[in-house]
Parts: sequence; C-alpha cells; structure tokens
Amino acid sequence: MAETHTSSATPESFEVRILRQDGPGQASYWERHRVQYEPQMNVISVLQKIAAQATTADGRSVSPVVWDCNCLEEICGACTMVINGRVRQACSALVDNLLRYENPTEIRLEPMSKFPVIRDLMVDRSRLFRALEKVRAWVPVDGYYDLGPGPRISPKVQEQAYPLSKCMSCGCCLEACPQYTKVELTQEPGESDEAFEARKKAAYDQAFIGAHAISQAMLFNMHPTGKHEAAERLDQLTAPGGIQICGNAQNCVAVCPKEIPLTTSIGRAGRAATLHVLRKWFDG
Amino acid sequence: MAKKPRVMIVGGGLAGLAAAMKLAELEVDVDLMSLTPVKRSHSVCAQGGINSVNDQTRQLGDDEWKHFDDTVYGGDFLQHQPPVKEMAYWAPTIIDLMDRLGVTFNRTPEGFLDRRRFGGTLYKRTAFAGATTGQQLLYALDEQVRRWEVAGRIRKFEFWDFLAPILDETGRCRGCVAQDLVSMEIRAFPADFLVLATGGCGLIFGRSTMSMVCTGSAVSRCFQAGAKYGNGEFIQVHPTAIPGADKLRLMSESARGEGGRVWVPRKPHDPRDPRQIPEEERYYFLEERYPEYGNLVPRDIATREIFNVCVNEGLSVDPDRQAVYLDLTHIPRSELDRKLGGILEIYEKFQGVDPREVPMKIFPAVHYSMGGLWVDYERSADGGLVPAHPKNQATNIPGMYAIGECDYQYHGANRLGANSLLSCIFSGLFVAPGLKEQLEHLDSLASEAPATLFESAQRQQQHRHDKLLSQEGGGENPYLLHQQLGDIMTRTATVVRHNDQLREAIDRVLELRDRADRCSLSDTGHWTNQNVVFTKALQDMFPVALTILRGALLRDECRGAHYKPEFELPGLTSDDPAERRRQAEQWVDAFIEKNQKWLKSTIARWDPQQRDVEISYEPVDTSLIPPRPRLYGLVGAETIEEVWRERQQRASEPAGAGAAGRS
Amino acid sequence: MAEPTPQPTFLQRHEFLLRRLHSLSGLIPVGAYMCVHLFVNASLLNSPASYQDAVYQIHSLGKLLPVVEWGFIFLPILFHAIFGVVIMFGGLPNTANYRYAANYRYMLQRATGVIAFLFIFYHVFHMHGWFHSEWWLENVARPLGGARFAPYNAGSSLAEAYGGFIPVIYAVGVAACVYHLANGIWTMGITWGVWTTPAGQRRATVVCGVFGVLLLAVAAASWMGPMRTNAKKAREIEDKMYRAKVAAGELDPAEASHKRAGHERVGKGDGERASTK
Repeated sequence: MAETHTSSATPESFEVRILRQDGPGQASYWERHRVQYEPQMNVISVLQKIAAQATTADGRSVSPVVWDCNCLEEICGACTMVINGRVRQACSALVDNLLRYENPTEIRLEPMSKFPVIRDLMVDRSRLFRALEKVRAWVPVDGYYDLGPGPRISPKVQEQAYPLSKCMSCGCCLEACPQYTKVELTQEPGESDEAFEARKKAAYDQAFIGAHAISQAMLFNMHPTGKHEAAERLDQLTAPGGIQICGNAQNCVAVCPKEIPLTTSIGRAGRAATLHVLRKWFDG
Repeated sequence: MAKKPRVMIVGGGLAGLAAAMKLAELEVDVDLMSLTPVKRSHSVCAQGGINSVNDQTRQLGDDEWKHFDDTVYGGDFLQHQPPVKEMAYWAPTIIDLMDRLGVTFNRTPEGFLDRRRFGGTLYKRTAFAGATTGQQLLYALDEQVRRWEVAGRIRKFEFWDFLAPILDETGRCRGCVAQDLVSMEIRAFPADFLVLATGGCGLIFGRSTMSMVCTGSAVSRCFQAGAKYGNGEFIQVHPTAIPGADKLRLMSESARGEGGRVWVPRKPHDPRDPRQIPEEERYYFLEERYPEYGNLVPRDIATREIFNVCVNEGLSVDPDRQAVYLDLTHIPRSELDRKLGGILEIYEKFQGVDPREVPMKIFPAVHYSMGGLWVDYERSADGGLVPAHPKNQATNIPGMYAIGECDYQYHGANRLGANSLLSCIFSGLFVAPGLKEQLEHLDSLASEAPATLFESAQRQQQHRHDKLLSQEGGGENPYLLHQQLGDIMTRTATVVRHNDQLREAIDRVLELRDRADRCSLSDTGHWTNQNVVFTKALQDMFPVALTILRGALLRDECRGAHYKPEFELPGLTSDDPAERRRQAEQWVDAFIEKNQKWLKSTIARWDPQQRDVEISYEPVDTSLIPPRPRLYGLVGAETIEEVWRERQQRASEPAGAGAAGRS
Repeated sequence: MAEPTPQPTFLQRHEFLLRRLHSLSGLIPVGAYMCVHLFVNASLLNSPASYQDAVYQIHSLGKLLPVVEWGFIFLPILFHAIFGVVIMFGGLPNTANYRYAANYRYMLQRATGVIAFLFIFYHVFHMHGWFHSEWWLENVARPLGGARFAPYNAGSSLAEAYGGFIPVIYAVGVAACVYHLANGIWTMGITWGVWTTPAGQRRATVVCGVFGVLLLAVAAASWMGPMRTNAKKAREIEDKMYRAKVAAGELDPAEASHKRAGHERVGKGDGERASTK
C-alpha cells in the first residue's frame, strides 16, 4: 500500500528551500537544495542528506545547514522549525505527507521566528526555559532524603496532570501565538557575559511568558505539595508579561504536538488569577 | 573571597540530574554540562517504567532480594553483586522520592501508585507514567535542578561539548576542557571532581534507538585519557524497532503479545503488496521454528531469528533494507485500537502507514550499552555498599566518577526491562555523599591549581580543533565514514557474532579510523560549526568501537546479549533417560568450565601508541548469589536443572557456602 | 556601553489590572450601553413617538446628562479604544499560516475593534459634533456635516441625517460593534476563567453566537428605523410632543430649544436638503 502510493505519486527528487542565516544579526537568505526522493523520509533525514551532499541545487558547495535535534521520536522537543509556513517538529514531519498534502514539488524550511536565530534553523530558546523559572515550575519538596511516599493522588487528578506534564518545551505554542513576539538583544561591546545574561533575563521577564509556562504553573498548582507555592506562581502569572497578554487566538492548542490542553490551562489560570487578585485586595 | 570547591557533572540525563540535585542539597556547588538543554536528554525516550518492590508485591512473596536476584540472573551473573544488591534495596525509596517530586505516575482508584508487570520477573514491580515514564522522571529532576539553579547552587552549561578531562602531574583529575557549541569557544573548567553521566554510545552503530547525542564521545575521551572500560561487548538489541532513514524507533513487545505475527515472503524481496501474498507463500519463521512459543519467543531469540532470516537467509522484505513483517492486519480494527492504540499511532506517525491495514516492517535495533566506564565500589559487611564512600562509582582515574548508562556496573551481560531508569537515578543519588565527604578534606582546590595546567589542556584541544578546520586534502566525508562504521558494527557486532566477521570488522574499523583522520570539513567557520563537532565525535567513536569488537572477538562463549553460535552449549539430544542424564552431567560440566573461564569482567584500556585497545579480565564478585544456568527454552532443561540442583546441594553441605549474604 | 536594564513602564507595571479593566469596560459599561442604545434606536421603527419618548427619558437627567455621558460612556469608550489599540500593536496576526477558526476570530476582533473605533468617532461627530461649544458646532462641525442630531426632534433629525452613503457606514460600523461585543464576551469568559475546557468554550461559542445574532437583529431594526421614517411627519409629531412638554412645565423653552431641529443656525446646503425631504 505504502509502496504503491509513494512510487506512483511522488517525484524522483524534490526541492528544499531553506532560509539560512550565518549568525545573529546577519541577513537571512534562501538557499535551494535538490534531494533524491526515498520512501519514508522525514525532514530530519532530508537535512542529513543535505549535510552529506553539501552542495546546493545549482551546484555550489556550501556549509551544511545547522539545525537542532536529538531524540527524533518527537519527545525531546529539540527539532522544532517552521516547515511550509507552519511550526512543527522536523522528526515527525514526513516527506510523503508534505509532498502529498501541502506542496508536491517543494519543502520550505525556516527557523522559528519568535526566537533569536543562532544559525540557520537553530534558534536560542532560553527565554522559554526562563519562563519556567519565573513560574516556579517545580514541587517544593523538603529534600531528597527518604521521607516516605508522596501524597496520594486520585486517578482523576493524575489524568488531568499527565497531559500537562508531557510538555517538552519545544516552543510550537509560542511560535504560533500572535501575542508572543520576539525579544532579541545583542551583547554590547564591553558588556560582561553575566551583565548581558542579567539584561536578557530582565527583558524576557517583561515579555509574554507564553502558553507552556502558564500550563506548567497550573500543573504544579494542581499537585498537593506544589500547591504550597500556588500564590507565588499566581503572582508571577499576574506580573508583567503574565497571562493577561493572552489574546485567545488559541493557536497554541492547535499546533501543540503533544496535544496538551493549553487553552484549558489558560482558562483555569485566568480563573485562578481573578480569584487571586480579589483575595489579595480584599482578603490580604 | 575564599574559593569554594566545585563538582563538574557532564551529562544532564537522569543520572547527571540526580547527582546534581543531591549534591546541591548537600551544599556543594555544581557545574552541569550538557550537549543539549538537559530537558532534551535521551532519558526522555524510556517508555516502560521503573522497577521496585512495593507493598503489594511484598505480600505476594516478593522482596528486595528477589529483585536483586532477577537483575543478576537477567544479567547472566556478569555484574558485581554488591552494587546491584544496594540498588535493589534502594529502589522503593527512589520511587517514593520520585513520587514526592511530582512524577505523574499512574494511580490506582484509591490513589496509590499503579504497577505493571515487565519481562524477567513474576511480580508487578514496575511503576509507570503513561507510556513516557522516562520523560516524566527526567522532568521531575530537571525541575529540581532548575530550582537549585535559581538558588545559585547549580550553574548549567548547555550546548557545551566535553572535550577532555584535565589530569595533573599526579594523574588526578582536576577538571575538564569543553567547547561552546554556539561560539566554538574552548575553555578549561577547573573542578574538584568530574562526574561523567553521558549515557550510551548507540551512534557507533549508525542508527539505533538512541538519540543523536549518544555518540559515546565523552566516555571515549576519558577512556583515551586512561580510564578503564568494562564489558564493552555487551550491547542490548531490541527485537522490534521501526527502521527509519534517520533512526530506529521502538515498537513495543506488546504488538506480538496481542497476536502480531512475524513473517517474510518465501520469495526473496517479493515485490507484491504483502496483503496480496497468499498464506502458503508466507514464511512464519518464528511459528515454524518454535511451535511451542510461536511469535512470543523470548526477546533474544526473536532478535536472533529476525536477524538471521534477513542477513543470512536473504529473505528481507525490502531489497535494500533489512526488515520483516510484523502483521496485525488479521486482528479486528476495534480490538487493535482498544489494546494497542498508543503504540500503533507511533508507527503511523513516523511511517505514514496505518498498521491496522498494512503489515508493519520491523527489524532489531541497538538499544542499550551494558558496558561502560569501569567504576569501583566499597562492599559493606552485609554484601551491599558502604554509603558515602569515596570509592563508590569512582573510575580508576582519581577524581573522576561515572554514573548512569555510561558506567558498566549494574546490568552485567543483559539489562532487565525497567531497570535502566532505576540504575541511573540510583547511581546519581548514591555518588553524591561520597563526593561531599571528600570535598571536606581536600588538600587543595582545583581552582587554585597552577594556571599552566588548564592553559596547556585548553591549548591542546584548541590545536586539535584548529587543525581539523585548516586541514585540506584528505577529502574524507565524516558523514559517509559514519555510515560505513555503522554498517560494519551493525552487521558484525550486534545480534549474532562470528569470530571471522569480527576479525574482518576490526581491520575495516582500523582503516576507517585512519581515514577519519583525513576528514575535510565542508564547514570551516567559527560559529556554530556542527560539522567539526560531529567529526571530532566520529573520530572518538573508534576507540569504543574497537573496545566492543575486540571484547566480542575474545569472548568465546554465549552470555546475555553476547551470542556466538559456535560456542553455544547445545540442548540435550537423547531420548534415553540414562543417556540424557549423562548429557546433562556433561552440560553442567561444560557450564561450570565456561564460567570459570568467562565469568569475568572484560576490561579495556587504551594504548595511545598503538591507538588500539588492550583487553584484560577481572573476576566478578558473585558472592551473594551463586551463578546458575539460564535454561529458558533449552531442550532438556528439566534434566539439567535436576543435575544442577544435586550438585549445588553436594557443594553446600560441607562448607555451607552459596548461601552467603542471605540474612 | 551597555544600557542599564530598562525599568518597567507604568503600562507594564499595571499590565494585569489595565488588561482586566479593558476587558471589563468592554462589557460594562460600553457593551451594556451599546445594547441599550440599539434598543432605544430600534424603537424608531415602531414610531417616531416611542423613540422620542425614550430620548426624553434619557434627557430627563438634565444637567446630570453630560456627567453620565462622560463618566459612563465616553471615557470608558475612549479607554477601551485607546488601550485596545495598544494591545493590538502588541500582537502579530498570523492567519495566513495558521488557518484556525479561533485565530480568524482573534484577527477579526482586532479588525472590528479598529472599525468600531473609527466608526464611533465618526458617529459621535456626525450626530453630536464632538464638542458642545457653540462656536465649534457652528464653524466646524455643522459645515462638515456633523452634529446632525436634535434630541427633541430625535426621529426626524436622524432621518434627515441618514442620506447618501451614510447608511452603508452605519451598517458596517454597527455590525463590527456587534461582532466585537459578542466575540469579546467569549474571550472575556476565558480571560476571567468562566469557561475553561474546550467543551465549555464550545458551549460558550454557541451562547455568544446566539447573542450576537439577536443583537444584530436589533441593530438591523435600529438601522432601518431612520430609513422608514418620514421626516416631515415625524417632525410634526415631535413638535407636538415638545409643545405638550413645555405646556406641562416639564421643559423650559429657554434652556431646551437648542435641542430642537432648525433652532441652530443651519448651513445653506443642509437647510435645502432638509426642506426637500
């Protein structure tokens, strides 16, 4: 079945257009590559072939395209990129599907547009992890000595928490979010690494934290021990860059490769924030 | 300002994160280095679960000792037993800890942890979180480490490549040299202890179930600096993986458990649609050869048969790729969705083909490395380990430690399912107090060592880097060399091993090793140059590849994952009881002789002059559970077992040996 | 030299509160006022008298009216509109690549917001001329076609002002306002945490959709009112009502006459057009 599909409906080769950029702050440019078709390729194997070829469609020798990947099973979150205009994981983007349903002759690869480009398809997603620090996305345990089992949790709560805990910090929800806008700073001459790092963190903290972090805050506010810091997390969700920036376009939930109910988390966070602020004003 | 001691942990998977978090709790400053953001480490790929004895299994007769016994038996007795015993006894508390850290384990209706049964045991020991237990465990540790990072106790160096340990003139490890993968800056990091937690080396086999960072290069760089490597030839191969152009992805054993049938067309590379091939032209080789077990033969047998039918009999379903059909299409769709929904979706997602309609194509794949850096331990009086002892997890290089998949300590000749997550977290937690203990009595700090030590180490690596960028001429393409290395290793050193093939493979790998010196880079830039990083990793794959091949060549026996048909102890052939009995006696004699010769750890050392490995052997501490034969599926197993039991009895009567440790 | 870390601005420091106020002001008072306004105007379709009655009722506030208008209508609208523009500039619509219904609605919410903003400005000018200063009204507003509404000749002045392409502007503007309110209530429900799950949000979509359609019907009625009104006949009825009010002592002509049509100084062209109707 698969063989009949692929041999009759697909070309001998196809073109891959890649938006490259040699480094931060440099101009980006399109580069065309021609790749021999093979059955059951994904975008990762296309990029691997391009790396081994090191030659463009018009025969120029070029350096291999830089991209980020690791597990290739869509569980580590590394290989996020914009494929044919839509953000997704490169490992689970199958060439057969891209050619059959999106564009029969060409695949277009771009880096995520909401994060500073490091090189080619690789971007700096440290803002995403900074948001997890901001919302204190952890269970505040006393320590790691043996203190017996954890709190009992009903299967219902587990079923609610598990999908949220599958978030692999890939950044798809942020790339697709019209309210999440790029923050890119450059190190000034004479600025120390530490000072630059601190300046970046401050800038990240004032920009939107994004759906993933809101959802993580809700995950830990649901946990019997995590709850102990619920108020601190809600303080962060209502701080500058917090949940108020959400515009309810709901792209996050539509593009999430792990199908995490992000908009449910956002709704619940909205409710919790409402009550939290009222409580702080009238009950604090 | 008085300088404080620091520990450098390389690798941010389960083991590295567990060690970092525990050290932070002990008020030790930690640097944590990783090729990727630690949350993307390979531990996320573990699906099944994590084993421990629990209140329920305990009441069914289970205890820590049995978990220990299962692990040792599964590993074919090749591990030192005290660390395994300690791990089994720690297991319940590790699961309690992970539970407290918020891991979303599946729950029983009353709210306790739910458990499932895994291969190699009779008890429901395995706690799990959906089908992504590894991911969930890793995230819990990642969160704790992030907490310590905010508190200023841990510094992370993500997107850094470990290049070499730094040894002072006395041979003590004083830190490491590493390279920023973005800016390409090479920097020396002084550290009072270096802890390697860099995982497996699957990329040596080209494609495996492992992640792209699992090149084994960090371990190789320590090996080349003088660290011993243990049991390198023991590589676990999973019978059913989905072959992909970029990697091999696991297909759970449950597909066969629910009635999946494995077959190939009798006609080699039959081009017909598999569904058009009539029954009589299909070769259900497992069912034909093992009528009793059918498709549910044990993992290692399934692996060998699938490998054999493709490689030796040339019956692969694809002409240019090895694969057999795993067929579920005879089972009603609704039933498949109910029982196997999740795993069939994985196949569909990555193959773009519906396995309910079309037979899946699967092939065995390299999955786990039991071998790794040799590490020490301190045995306690009761046969476990002495906690907080400096020797625990220490490599032979003073000041250098190894934990997780990159140490050789816990799984012997074969790893039990759902034990890897346990060994990673255990070794990570267990190494910390030993380091803390020593940090309090340091003579001098690494950060106060002479600057020349670090400068020269940095220069050496800078030189290697610059030379690679500037060398012209060689013309070798690192990616193509990697493919060739992977092909050789996969063909000769995975499922079935033959000495002639291994000898040939060594020659070819030595040749590839020399060719890899002459790589020409297509990227000679100084910014995020993945080309040069990969080329260095490739060059460092050869020492480990040679360790695997030489270890396998020398070990003339079958043990765990290491299978050499020439040296297999055959089953009993006679039907006559007396003759059968005599054969069983012979079998047991041969078994004892085999153990005397081969129940030893393989120890590899790097010879920098020859640029090759030297193999020696060390005895294994089997003082707690005496080795016994694994007879699963063997013809005449009952008779052999009878003979074996009688001999054990006779042996134990005068001296009372063999029951040591059981208290 | 590295610039120091920028301090958060006033907007950033009070971002949460401002956004919630923005969300709230859209419903109360702005949205609520809009509903009342549309219902009142729809009464013109019934008869000029019922419309005039309603206007009298509103104007019975007398001197308090400007306070109410500014405090509960103009200022909230201005806040909602201006802050809405600030919000809008913080986002980057991407419906070209992400063609999901909710994403189109997000984009439409912003588009209708802009339309509503422009429309309301025009509408207030067209009807009331923006400022009550006599000089402004005479020299700027009326010559430009604004300040056409005469409260004590409500229906007739409306009908007279409703010529040419103006109904088209009103159709587009009012439809945008109705969409903006109905969809705004939907997003508000998520923002404040009333509906959270996809199922809950689907149900809310239906409720808000039905509300939107009903309100659009009211809007259509109020849009048709001036077109179905004969200005001359309406003027007679209105004048009769005015005289009755004055006779009853409810209105003081000295103060009330400027709210009548034709009692302002009318521009030549306008006067002619009014008389031809």
